[in-house]
Amino acid sequence: MSNDHPDSGHDHDHAHEAETPAAPSSVEDPSAQALSDALRSSFNIVKFLMGLLVAAFIVSGIFTVKPNQVAVVLRFGKPRGTGPEQLLKPGLHWALPYPIDEIVYIPVGESHTVTSTAGWYYTTPEEEASGTKPQALPYLRPGVDGYTLTGDGNITHVRATLGYRISDPLSYVFNFASTTNLLQHVLDNALFYASARFTADDALYWNRPGFQEAVLARVNEMISKLKLGAAVETSEVRVSPPLDVEQAFDAVIKAQQQGNQKVLDAEAYARGATNRAIGQASAIMRDGITTSNYLVQTVGAEAQRFTDLLPRYQSSPELFKQRLLAETMQRVLTNAQYKLFLPERADGKPRELRLQLSKEPEVPVKEKPKP
Amino acid sequence: MKRNPITIATGAVLVLIFLFMLFIFQVRQTEVAVVTTFGKYSRSITNAGFQVRLPWPVQKIYKFDSRIQNFEHKFDQTITRDQINILITVFVGWRIADPKIFLESFSGSVTKAEEKLESLVRNAKSGVIGQHAFSDLISTNRAELKFDQMENEMLKAVQAQAMSAYGIQIELLGVKQLGLPESITSTVFERMKKQRQGLVAKYESEGKREAEIIRANADVQANEILAKAKAEAIRITGEAETKAAGYYAVFEKYPELAIFLFQLKALEQSLKERTHLILDQQTPPFNLLNGSGNAPSGGGSKK
Repeated sequence: MSNDHPDSGHDHDHAHEAETPAAPSSVEDPSAQALSDALRSSFNIVKFLMGLLVAAFIVSGIFTVKPNQVAVVLRFGKPRGTGPEQLLKPGLHWALPYPIDEIVYIPVGESHTVTSTAGWYYTTPEEEASGTKPQALPYLRPGVDGYTLTGDGNITHVRATLGYRISDPLSYVFNFASTTNLLQHVLDNALFYASARFTADDALYWNRPGFQEAVLARVNEMISKLKLGAAVETSEVRVSPPLDVEQAFDAVIKAQQQGNQKVLDAEAYARGATNRAIGQASAIMRDGITTSNYLVQTVGAEAQRFTDLLPRYQSSPELFKQRLLAETMQRVLTNAQYKLFLPERADGKPRELRLQLSKEPEVPVKEKPKP
Repeated sequence: MKRNPITIATGAVLVLIFLFMLFIFQVRQTEVAVVTTFGKYSRSITNAGFQVRLPWPVQKIYKFDSRIQNFEHKFDQTITRDQINILITVFVGWRIADPKIFLESFSGSVTKAEEKLESLVRNAKSGVIGQHAFSDLISTNRAELKFDQMENEMLKAVQAQAMSAYGIQIELLGVKQLGLPESITSTVFERMKKQRQGLVAKYESEGKREAEIIRANADVQANEILAKAKAEAIRITGEAETKAAGYYAVFEKYPELAIFLFQLKALEQSLKERTHLILDQQTPPFNLLNGSGNAPSGGGSKK
């Protein structure tokens, strides 16, 4: 028993001893478990994060091409795809991140403009904005005032504006450092080129469309020669005489208008004269016809009267004559304003009669001859 | 043991990226490049894409813009063959065609290249213009005009030298501005004004002349119309007189009565209005006042 005790004590000790080494193993197992659990879960998180990153990476490669654009993806600096496949149409697309892929957007839908004032007189920005003309100088300053020389050695001012669209995006973007600048040069050139072959009058007045056409033809020719990748859609060309000479130009227009006015006046006169003549002519004809009718009718009537009177006359000529004479005298004397009766002198000598005729016209004075 | 594959993978990726950065370089679509090894030229790259290289400092890369660049020459004075001073600006579209020569000539500086181009263009310009008359540059006669041809000649003159000496390809050359010295512009203005005055006189006299012609024609026409009408009227009257003459034949049957009637009529017509009559006692019917009561000796004739 006593053995049991120490045994038991030993046992106790043993148990204690056995317990002591068992204790760490029992502690180690859960902790390892916990660690591996933690590791596993953190690994899961990492995996999840990695997945997220991969997703983010994939999503980050998505890009949109807007409706008025096309895009080109440069892989290691070289356009991806061949031929027309190089151009990405509007919509969603995917590319690798920079520096492997680079996306270049090209605004093909937009209309661009380029203006040439190389041939225009110098204007300050305020004058340009308000559209007023600067003071006319009797000369042009080289490098300041732009102008073109015309085929007949005259000077004109020309300016032009082109509206264009990108028709070949690859060439437009990759072949030229500044397409807009180049187009500006080309337009300048076209203005001088066209001016050199037109007279000032043709460019200014008589053949403006022809001049504009020549400018445009030259621009298009150079665009196609250079494969500039631009298509001209609108063009506006303005031509103006030099400011100093403008008045003289206006005077010509005025003289022309006045000349035309003179011609118009003359034409009006001509119409008036002809119409008047036609009126007079018809009056003359009418008179002629009236006179003729009158003549024929009166003579006819008199002939008729004569024929009627003849038998009566023949029956008693003297009486008939006296009757007619008396009737006539009666009518004449009734009409006369003054009637002076001048009796014969008693001695039968001729009487002397003095008449003072008033200046009043149309007063016929009749005197019966003295027998 | 568990961490090793990840570490290795990560390390490998990093090393790969590092090597990539050391041994690979990109040439963009808009670029050309030159590779030098220890400062010595080794090759040129004109195609876009990725390229292999040895790391710095063994190999060095020079990249240039390969696009067409614009260059504008200054506005300056030149004399034509017929001794006329003109001012002319020329623009040039150029690109680097041979990056090796370009690098060697200008050590890669575009500004230096443009300086050289400037003098090249100036020489070509004055050379070509000196061989041509002013009328080759501006003329209304299309056959005589050599605007294009002169541009081409300048281009040819610049092109050969730019390529061989500088590795530059000139793609385009054009006149950008053309002018005259200031004093000449005022003489041109004077001439233009004279021309205009001439035109004013021309239009004025033309208008006047045309108007006069129209008026004269109108007068002629009006007279013609009147003359025709008069002739027609005379013809009608003539016809009427012929017809009337037929009636007169009736009077011939008894001329004495006819004459008496005519006289009576004439007397009555002539004494119609505002008449003053001085009568003596012989005139019937006033002979009655004389108390004689004779038959009258003659008719009431007037004088």
